[in-house]
Amino acid sequence: MKKAYLGIDIGSISTKGVVLDDDSNILAKEYLWTEGNPMGAVKKLLAELEKQFDKDEYEIVSTGTTGSARKLIGVMVGATIVKNEITAHAVGTLNFYPDVRTILEIGGQDSKIILVDNGVVVDYAMNTLCAAGTGAFLSSQAKRLGVEVEEFGKIALQSKSPTQLAARCTVFAESDLVHKIQMGHTRQDIIAGLCRAVVNNYLNNVGKGKKIVSPVVFQGGVSRNEGVVHFFEQQLGTKVIVDENGPLMGAIGIAILGRRARARKKFDFAVEDMEFRTREVSCGRCPNNCEIICVYRDDVLIDSWGNRCDKGALRAGTRGESVK
Amino acid sequence: MSKKISIFAREDREITVGLPRALLYHRYEILWKSFFSELGVQCVTSPRTNKAIIDRGIERSIDETCLSTKIYMGHVDALIGKCDYILIPRISNFGIRRFMCTKFEALYDMTGNVFRGSGQKFLAYDIDVVKKTGEEKAMIAMAEAMGFSRKEGKNAYKAAKRFENDDWKRKVREEERKLRTDQIKIMVAGHSYITEDEYVGKPVIRMLEEMGVTPIIADRIDRKEAIRQSARISPTIKWEMSRELMGSIQIRRNKIDGVILLSAYPCGPDSMVNEMIIRKFRGLPIQTIVLDTQEGMAGLETRLESFTDVLKLQRGEL
Repeated sequence: MKKAYLGIDIGSISTKGVVLDDDSNILAKEYLWTEGNPMGAVKKLLAELEKQFDKDEYEIVSTGTTGSARKLIGVMVGATIVKNEITAHAVGTLNFYPDVRTILEIGGQDSKIILVDNGVVVDYAMNTLCAAGTGAFLSSQAKRLGVEVEEFGKIALQSKSPTQLAARCTVFAESDLVHKIQMGHTRQDIIAGLCRAVVNNYLNNVGKGKKIVSPVVFQGGVSRNEGVVHFFEQQLGTKVIVDENGPLMGAIGIAILGRRARARKKFDFAVEDMEFRTREVSCGRCPNNCEIICVYRDDVLIDSWGNRCDKGALRAGTRGESVK
Repeated sequence: MSKKISIFAREDREITVGLPRALLYHRYEILWKSFFSELGVQCVTSPRTNKAIIDRGIERSIDETCLSTKIYMGHVDALIGKCDYILIPRISNFGIRRFMCTKFEALYDMTGNVFRGSGQKFLAYDIDVVKKTGEEKAMIAMAEAMGFSRKEGKNAYKAAKRFENDDWKRKVREEERKLRTDQIKIMVAGHSYITEDEYVGKPVIRMLEEMGVTPIIADRIDRKEAIRQSARISPTIKWEMSRELMGSIQIRRNKIDGVILLSAYPCGPDSMVNEMIIRKFRGLPIQTIVLDTQEGMAGLETRLESFTDVLKLQRGEL
């Protein structure tokens, strides 16, 4: 039986999964919306992945999870490796573009830049704990304008004179935007302005002080917005590569990291049929009153986190609601 | 502003002074405690920062102050009624281009106003070297205002300063020792009231340790040397504590793998100095982290872990 490696990337907006073989060929891939239910999304994802590859020929020997729900899903699927999405993205992209120098990434709630030299990450930056200028910002503005966010790119490209918008802070941008609408700016100019504001915000925040050298690869959900790609190319004066597998890079990266690591555990698709449940408990054992998240599989506690000290540590294996 | 803020007669019973465990406490803990102990004055300290203290502090503060000041108010609140006086120094500067953030000059009056009506008395000493009042003079004046003789004040200060220096040397030696490990070393550059705070900075340090990283506390450095070295980065920067941190990075830059600039929102000096550090220390991996009262630790964890991973990738360890 040949070996295969599973990688799952559970972001705030979308959930991605791949199955790779020893040469990083994609045996199965899937992309769907998280819709605020990471565990449900992963079950659906696994069902789709299971159909796509030959289970008699390959067996999955390592499982990696990345993205903001990596810990939760890692517990659920019994991951052999759990890593943040930045590392996963860098590893995934380097696999397809070994000579890449700059990786731009704008996701649902964060954005980052990774600088690479000779195949080694030399520098990177991530937005501070604020979602200005990310996918969430574009989505909320799309809602305000009554446009599907997927249409943003096309509409933006029609504009000849993008509106000037402040994009440093979502709250300022929003009031600026409302004001410009009321002043009579056209919708396409405003949307183009928004796309440009995202680019400027990115370059002035995450990308500030960084030397952006081509080849440049652009990833994350926002990379599918042609308007943003256009303004990146305009601002940087260089071609920006958007890979069709771009959204999958995190999943690919974590699958590769799983392959590189030593841990091995046969993956069982039976988790699709298991009952998973989470519960939030207020600890109450000290004034911090930590919110502890408990994860149950078929009513048995399998993991918990969120406690700041040992007073809130819960023992796995406890049944049902017996933990306070 | 009169020099003697609190004038009170020496009483027969023991005096108790409250020390809020926030802001400059983390810088002057040993100096203060030994000074008062030499004078035979009792000290009580507020508990380590916890959620209840922060919530209380936020309630008592205006919106615009920094997280650290809000935490301070929570600590003062925890001491009200538990001591005769609460110590709040007023520190303006240690000389030219050696200024403290304005809040350290305003803190006594700010706190007094916030807790007006509580009946609590406060105790201060004023440092303003530009106007010729150094630490020694200020603290002796405070002792005198408490009813001790000048000589008693002077002896207590001398002894306290000796304890402080010994303790500081030990702390700096400990950091130097940590620099010799083979593990990845990340310097955590933040004011001591952030890095030493149980609820704000300590979790960051613990997370780093759990990731197999040796955190180096930038603040624990030979301060004189750091101030000197900081001039090589910027000769004009005016904040004393920012200069110490900058100098510390400069002194240790070749012995560390990266730097985390840890700051509390909103910090005036940091917003400027951290930007400059990023620009001046090209080639040194730097991650800025701005802390506020977010409950979720996930974003923080992602940032720390990815920063660590990148450093590991560079060393070929991942």
